[in-house]
Amino acid sequence: MINPFQEFKGRTSRRREIPLDQILRSKEETLSRILRGYENLLKNEAKDLVWLMQYSTVIKAYTIAEEGIKGIEYTAEDIEEFCYALDKTDQIPYLITGPAGVYISALCNHAKEEEIVLRLQDLNVKINLLGYRLPEGKRLVVEGNVGDFTGIGLDGGELVIEGSAKNYTGAGMKRGKIVVKNNIGFNTGHGMTGGEIVVGGRIKGLGKIVGGKIYEREHLIFPSEEMKPFFF
Amino acid sequence: MVSKDGYQEKIRRIYGFISENLYLNRPDLEIKGEYYNSALLFGILTAIYGGKELIIGEPGLGKTTSAEYVGCLLYRYPLGIIWGSEVSGHPEQTEEKIVGRPHLGELNKGNEVVVWSNFVQIPVKIVDEINRLPETKQSMILDGVDRGNWEYLNEILINDEYVLFATANYQDRGTNTIIAPLVDRFDVLVESRHPGPNIAFQIGRKSRLDNPLRHPEFERRFHEVLRTHMPYDEKVRRLEELCDLFGEYLMETVGVEGLKNEERQGIREELAKVPVDLDANAFLRMVLAEFSFCHRYGQKRSVEQCAEGCHYTGYICHHVKNCASNRLPTSVIGYSQALAWFLEDEEVDIEHVRVVLPFTLAHRVQWRDSYISKKEGEGRNDPLQIYLAKEATEEIFQRYNEQRDYLLEALSVAYQAFEGEEVTPLEGDHPLYEEIKKDIGSRR
Amino acid sequence: MKVDLKPMEKILQKVWPRAREKHLYPQLPTPQLVEGGEEVALDIKSKKLQISASFLENIKVMMDPEEAVEAVLDHGIAHYMYCPWDFHTHLTLYSEAKKALKDKKMAQKATSYFLDVVANTYCVKERETKLPELYRRLPKEGVQGVLASLYQKIWGVDLGADEEHEEKVRRLARIPYLEKRRWRESIKKFAKVIEDLLEEELKAEQGQDRKAPNPLGEHSLDNYSLEEIDRGLRNFASTVQDLQEFKETVEDLKEELNERGYAMGGMGRGEGNPIDADLLYYMKLAENYTLPIRKLPMEKSGDLHPHSHSPWEVGKPFQDIDPWTSFGKIMPGLTQTWVRREGEVYGEMESTPDCLIIIDSSGSMTNPRERLSYAVLGAACACNAYLKNEARVAVYNFSDAFRGNKLLLEFSRQREAIYRAICRYFGGGTALDLEDVAYLLRQADHPDIFIITDMQITNLEKLIEFFSGIENRVTAVHLGHNVHTVRFREGLKKKRNISLFPVREKEDIPKIVLGKIREYWASPL
Repeated sequence: MINPFQEFKGRTSRRREIPLDQILRSKEETLSRILRGYENLLKNEAKDLVWLMQYSTVIKAYTIAEEGIKGIEYTAEDIEEFCYALDKTDQIPYLITGPAGVYISALCNHAKEEEIVLRLQDLNVKINLLGYRLPEGKRLVVEGNVGDFTGIGLDGGELVIEGSAKNYTGAGMKRGKIVVKNNIGFNTGHGMTGGEIVVGGRIKGLGKIVGGKIYEREHLIFPSEEMKPFFF
Repeated sequence: MVSKDGYQEKIRRIYGFISENLYLNRPDLEIKGEYYNSALLFGILTAIYGGKELIIGEPGLGKTTSAEYVGCLLYRYPLGIIWGSEVSGHPEQTEEKIVGRPHLGELNKGNEVVVWSNFVQIPVKIVDEINRLPETKQSMILDGVDRGNWEYLNEILINDEYVLFATANYQDRGTNTIIAPLVDRFDVLVESRHPGPNIAFQIGRKSRLDNPLRHPEFERRFHEVLRTHMPYDEKVRRLEELCDLFGEYLMETVGVEGLKNEERQGIREELAKVPVDLDANAFLRMVLAEFSFCHRYGQKRSVEQCAEGCHYTGYICHHVKNCASNRLPTSVIGYSQALAWFLEDEEVDIEHVRVVLPFTLAHRVQWRDSYISKKEGEGRNDPLQIYLAKEATEEIFQRYNEQRDYLLEALSVAYQAFEGEEVTPLEGDHPLYEEIKKDIGSRR
Repeated sequence: MKVDLKPMEKILQKVWPRAREKHLYPQLPTPQLVEGGEEVALDIKSKKLQISASFLENIKVMMDPEEAVEAVLDHGIAHYMYCPWDFHTHLTLYSEAKKALKDKKMAQKATSYFLDVVANTYCVKERETKLPELYRRLPKEGVQGVLASLYQKIWGVDLGADEEHEEKVRRLARIPYLEKRRWRESIKKFAKVIEDLLEEELKAEQGQDRKAPNPLGEHSLDNYSLEEIDRGLRNFASTVQDLQEFKETVEDLKEELNERGYAMGGMGRGEGNPIDADLLYYMKLAENYTLPIRKLPMEKSGDLHPHSHSPWEVGKPFQDIDPWTSFGKIMPGLTQTWVRREGEVYGEMESTPDCLIIIDSSGSMTNPRERLSYAVLGAACACNAYLKNEARVAVYNFSDAFRGNKLLLEFSRQREAIYRAICRYFGGGTALDLEDVAYLLRQADHPDIFIITDMQITNLEKLIEFFSGIENRVTAVHLGHNVHTVRFREGLKKKRNISLFPVREKEDIPKIVLGKIREYWASPL
């Protein structure tokens, strides 16, 4: 039988490569590796797609996340791409915001840049646990709203939320600064022992705070006459 | 290689003469920076290719006359002969009036001798209002032209060359329509349009009596030869001699030289050799894929409805009911080669195909009602069938333009895979990639 | 200074066929040389490319004029052939940019720049082009400077751009400009990155009272014909996420649409009524659900007449033998017999009956000006179908009719007025005034009735009684299933002229309406 593609014999590809192709390819590769790390985390930590928010599970998840990102060369923009990928179910079949937040925190904490800006305004999902253990010398700016447990265990870094946060913001933070431009939820600063939380809008409720300072609309509301430190 | 023996020049002169003196109309087609009238251009291409053209249009807008002039000048038959051999479409047409009849004298003696009609004897065949013929007669004519064989009372007449021009009213108004299997046999569909009031006025001013393409003396001599009972080969030779004389007459009176039989045969050989470039090749494959593919049922079939929610709803296959026949690529390639040859281009490129494709597609496609109803209200210059075909062509072209390099690579890889090499066919969204895989799969 | 166009014309004539072939022969008219501004090389007006001779005159001291012309043509053709290709794409990109930037002028600028980056990058990657050479010679201020740096990075060429705005360029370089499927998210990212630069540019323009020229032409509605604009709006209406998005985009472009001569009824009718974005949305969306125009029916005339011949065979009757075509012989193979058929004549086109649309706009129905209302869309489809076939349409829009929350529009062919009536929303209680309905029915000869409601009508019994007494074809489309719908069905089950359609998915309403109309027209009254 005659080959119906005879005329195309030996037609060499004339597709020109430009640096843009290389940039995009590298970006896709990095994103795949980051995604694989995240899937690995879920496989270990959320076997039945259930993840309980507990002190020990967070620590364990963070450790696995750190393992997963070892050896990956990435930038702040890659972290942002990953956040957007979380929003698309065709790239990530399931999203569990707790482990996702821990994973992103690991990525931010180990990024080369000292300052990371994540533009997350268009994200449909609010990610929990962002800024977990942000170390000293790091500044993480998040444009958009975030979920629960933001900045918990903050370890000297500066976390700026240009939007609102939900509950348990700054819980257990040791040092550093959290700035939230809009409103914040309940149990703010629960268990925090140091550092500052500065809120531009309203705070729905404070948690049991051990140390540090909390400002609401430039007023110091902890420690104050009405709010004394709590001893566990 | 395109023949540059000056034939193109001759044919252009014929085109020029007809468009300036006989068939006055506006140019409505642009190709390679030149403007042509589509009805006349495709008439010329049909005549040199030896195809079958269906001409539609409102009554009195030159459907038949354009074909008559082209036939007369390119084949060098006097206009009176062309007129005398036309078949007019009405329900009472019989085989005896179209093909041939028994010689009545001989019949009474008990001998079967066939008197062939002029229609079957001369190469230029014009059928006026073919849609008014009963289906059996339409089929008979198209069969005859397809094969070049005419049979009556066990006698056969074989045409070496032939070209068919058929005119029809718009399909929604006729008493008969031309059914799909018959209309598919036509290579192209063109519209003979209204030329506009200014040109129409010029037409109205022309004298009906003065027609340089008529010559009573020649016509009489042609009739004499056509009426004789000599063998058909001999008749053709004698007719060709008369055509030479008439051709000389045309050269003297109107400065236009027609084409001899050998010249026409030579041109057809040249046309067939015009190569098709890779872009045109790949684009045409893409078109054929979209008009024949069905993800769910394997291929398009007019009895099967397209499923809602199919992945391929963005492609033309979702908007059509029937499957493209194999006559479509034959017509497209043939006419594209003719067009490229006419324009003295070295090869058929994608522009030739884009120009020709709508006219070869228009009559062959059955569009879904939903697609028609969306498009029929849009502003256009063409009748709906041709407009839809043009829209579809452009839509597919956009897709081709976007993925051209990738597609060419896919076809190149397909070649290797077909040869048995261990390569993986490239994946893509377009139906053509699926069809490539099927071809390779069937090979393996 | 007047520029001599002749040498430029020659260059253009030489370069144009080459450019056409390179881009696979776009269906564009031959470009023109114009005495344009010195700063802007190209303008595109309804597909016509206009190249500024003054610009070329200036550039030719820096660059081979043939190469400059070819580069400009490459850019113009790429806009036509690739991005944006059509007005629908342009609108979609603008809409996405607006979501990111929230400001009309900034969004327009961002869209324009994005289109340029895509078209240029397409040319550089897919075609042999001298665009980099041209860009090397163009001014690089503000956004153009950043884009020049971007081009350096993603094309791998030196354009002489500064290395400032490194971070912006790095972000911009990660956008997949040549992936058409991702243009919507890409333009948002693109717009956000250059947002501050766009703000600066706008401020500067306000200060100077002059727009910063784009050397390779602006992107506006002038680039498209009215037909393309109409088609683009239609496609945009069917692809947007919701009514608000369409509305916002059209409101933004209202002035330009009016200037262009695009009116509500269609195009080319000069400045008509100001564009109402909501009405336009339903008009364009309804155009995606249409029925073909009814064809003139052929009817049998009732008497037989000789139609055609068929060969006579032994055993067939003699009386229809045609002796003339049979040459006076009766023998198989020669003799022909007449086949008789009933004649066909053009039927009288029963003109399409008029249509009365009764639409419920009580509080339980969706407000069509806030969200897509399938009830209104269904009514719009019916309206289009009847108007297309030259019938008239009347509208009875009701909420609590007895309190004056009703709108009667008498039979009319004014599309805009009908749409206005259909889109009206009262949001009150639900009661019909049947006197109004009877009045409207008297204005036409046996009109069809389409009623779209959720059936929670307080005077439902009266309605049932009313419908029981009329012979008009009635199609009732109702949303949801409740005791009222059961009652309605029970009350009218014996009436063959009344069809009731419960709708589970609102999206089915237009299909139901059109399906019923198709059925009506296939069968006579």
